[in-house]
Amino acid sequence: MRLLIVNHISVARESLKRNRMRTWLTTLGITLGVTCMTVILALSYGATKLVDDQVDALGGNIAVIRPGADKKIHDLRDAIIPLGGDSFSVSSLTERDFTAISELDGVEQAAPLMSVDGSVRSSNNKQIIDAPIVATTPALQTISDLKIKDGQFIDNVTNQNTAVIGHQLSIDLFGSDQSIGQLFKVRGQQFTVIGVLGPVNDSINYNNLNINNAVIVSLDSGKSFNQGIAQIRQINVKAKDASQLPALTKQIDQLLIDNHSGERDFSILTDKAISKPTSLLFKLVGIVAVIISSVSLLIGGIGIMNIMLANVAERTREIGIRKAVGASNYHITFQFLIEALVMSVSGGIFGFLLGYAVALLLGTFLPFNPGFTWWVPLASIGTSVFVGVLFGLYPALRAARKDPIEALRQYN
Amino acid sequence: MKKAESTSVISLRGLTKRYGVGDAEHTVLGNIDLEIKKGEFIAVMGPSGCGKTTLLNVLGLLDKPDEGEYLLDGKPVERITSAKRAEIRSRRIGFVFQSFNLVPRLNVIENVALPLAYTGTSHLKSIKRASAMLKQFHLNEREYYMPWQLSGGQTQRVAIARALVNDPSIILADEPTGNLDSKSSHIILEELSDIHRRGNTIIMVTHNPDMTTYADRVITMLDGKIDTDTKTAVVKNTRSTVDKKVTLGSRSKSSKRSKKERK
Ligand SMILES: Nc1ncnc2c1ncn2[C@@H]1O[C@H](COP(=O)(O)OP(=O)(O)OP(=O)(O)O)[C@@H](O)[C@H]1O
Ligand SMILES: [Mg+2]
Repeated sequence: MRLLIVNHISVARESLKRNRMRTWLTTLGITLGVTCMTVILALSYGATKLVDDQVDALGGNIAVIRPGADKKIHDLRDAIIPLGGDSFSVSSLTERDFTAISELDGVEQAAPLMSVDGSVRSSNNKQIIDAPIVATTPALQTISDLKIKDGQFIDNVTNQNTAVIGHQLSIDLFGSDQSIGQLFKVRGQQFTVIGVLGPVNDSINYNNLNINNAVIVSLDSGKSFNQGIAQIRQINVKAKDASQLPALTKQIDQLLIDNHSGERDFSILTDKAISKPTSLLFKLVGIVAVIISSVSLLIGGIGIMNIMLANVAERTREIGIRKAVGASNYHITFQFLIEALVMSVSGGIFGFLLGYAVALLLGTFLPFNPGFTWWVPLASIGTSVFVGVLFGLYPALRAARKDPIEALRQYN
Repeated sequence: MKKAESTSVISLRGLTKRYGVGDAEHTVLGNIDLEIKKGEFIAVMGPSGCGKTTLLNVLGLLDKPDEGEYLLDGKPVERITSAKRAEIRSRRIGFVFQSFNLVPRLNVIENVALPLAYTGTSHLKSIKRASAMLKQFHLNEREYYMPWQLSGGQTQRVAIARALVNDPSIILADEPTGNLDSKSSHIILEELSDIHRRGNTIIMVTHNPDMTTYADRVITMLDGKIDTDTKTAVVKNTRSTVDKKVTLGSRSKSSKRSKKERK
């Protein structure tokens, strides 16, 4: 058997080398498809890992509650809906839910996140910056482990019109990261800076908040922008004990269902689920990339089939000889399948290497780097094996079905 | 010399093979009855187109007859699955074709080792066996040549080496000496005789009457039928005296012996 494989691989190499140009062009389709696939996998793994690491750093006792049932993309239309299409609808999470959750036994702390629409103006109206504005409670600082560089975080005793701002926003707005006591306006309401957050390099995180540019105000201030109603887009819950988290999750689930008259119009995420890419854009880009890579894999596969059919026709006589000296149909099938696999797998290996190079290059423009893990090469090479088998099988079976007498008589 | 046993390795009853359909139909083998005993060395002669190659193809399980019965070791081959046929070809039958069928992409030693690949022999062992076989045919210096770099006679010797490499009990040789001078022809026939002496069955097609002296039975064919069928015990006896005179033949035997001693 080993001789057979060695033999087949060397015959395959020989015959592929003979038609170098043809082989190279055929392999190109597979290479392109696998490149595309590797880029998506590496980048999405990189992004997920970034958030994963944050979640891990938090110590596995965090649950995140978001409005709306767990959303899945059912067809392309779901994915193409404009980004943030949901933000027009009213959040199903209310302040009452938040209060009820905070009072549960197993909960150490809970913090709501309310997004406020509006831009930030410096008091002299010179600077207008579109910064994410979030209203929350003091608990967010500990739950999300926010570092204060200067001053203090919002707390229960501080004045309503005070805010904590991100490091970068401070520089953009006041020209310095020392901005305690400075004033700025949101929707005409004046705020005093009481704290500046330390610079953070994970602009992607499970709070969907770019901390460096953020304005953090108290929940009461947030409500004052929204006719006194809290529009909560996320509640972060920290359990007293990581081992109690599953039980706690169930408890919260029941509590919220009761609160929402029996409707599960929210989702509770724990552990790794928190870090799944939430942005629709991310999914959309992923879907487009998947389509591109499947089209190139399909083209590559058809190319392999085409070349293999030509190979089989050219080598009819060889097939006759092999059968005469004892090759069974299975042996012949195997031989030509190996040849198809040599092509598709080398395309897969090139594609994987190229894909990583492209991903690393893209990583320099993105806020995160491509991740490297064992299943990325496995998936890339595995796909090329699959394509090789899928498109190499028919020509191989055709070769095996040839009648030895007719095959031997060719060119006689 | 081994006595022919009474058991038939091959027996054909009313074997018929036709080609073409309708008006173009013609009978290539017509109603052939033939018993071949284990250990026989048969020479098949006959004019071109009389069906010799077709007969060998049927005997070698490459082709199927249209009518009649073919018993191999007393068992009808009609019901043997194609996988089993392949296995019989790989373990029991050695083919030498009329036109030398080397795989053009494989070098000489790979060509010779090819049948062993399908019997599951290890790589190293196959190469060793192939190399030893090539040595017997004085081709050890051509091991890494490609088929197109060989002369016609060399190509044929490689094809015979390949047919013998898996130690088959039935050898089907279609004009193995067709392109060779008489010296080389005798080397090859010596080799076949040696295989024959070990108790193997040989069926050889030839156009050269000289070569029939090695056989112990000569069959002549005419228009798809067996014309004459003669046991040539007398010829065989003279062959053994001829044997001693053929210096090349004895040299090949001595080289074989020395190789065995080296092992
Ligand atoms: N595939 C085929 N289709 C039609 N006729 C065929 C086919 N194969 C062989 N024949 C015919 O069968 C007859 C016998 O062919 P075969 O090859 O057995 O002859 P042969 O005795 O080996 O001749 P030679 O000594 O020239 O090799 C020939 O007349 C040939 O034309
Ligand atoms: Mg012939």
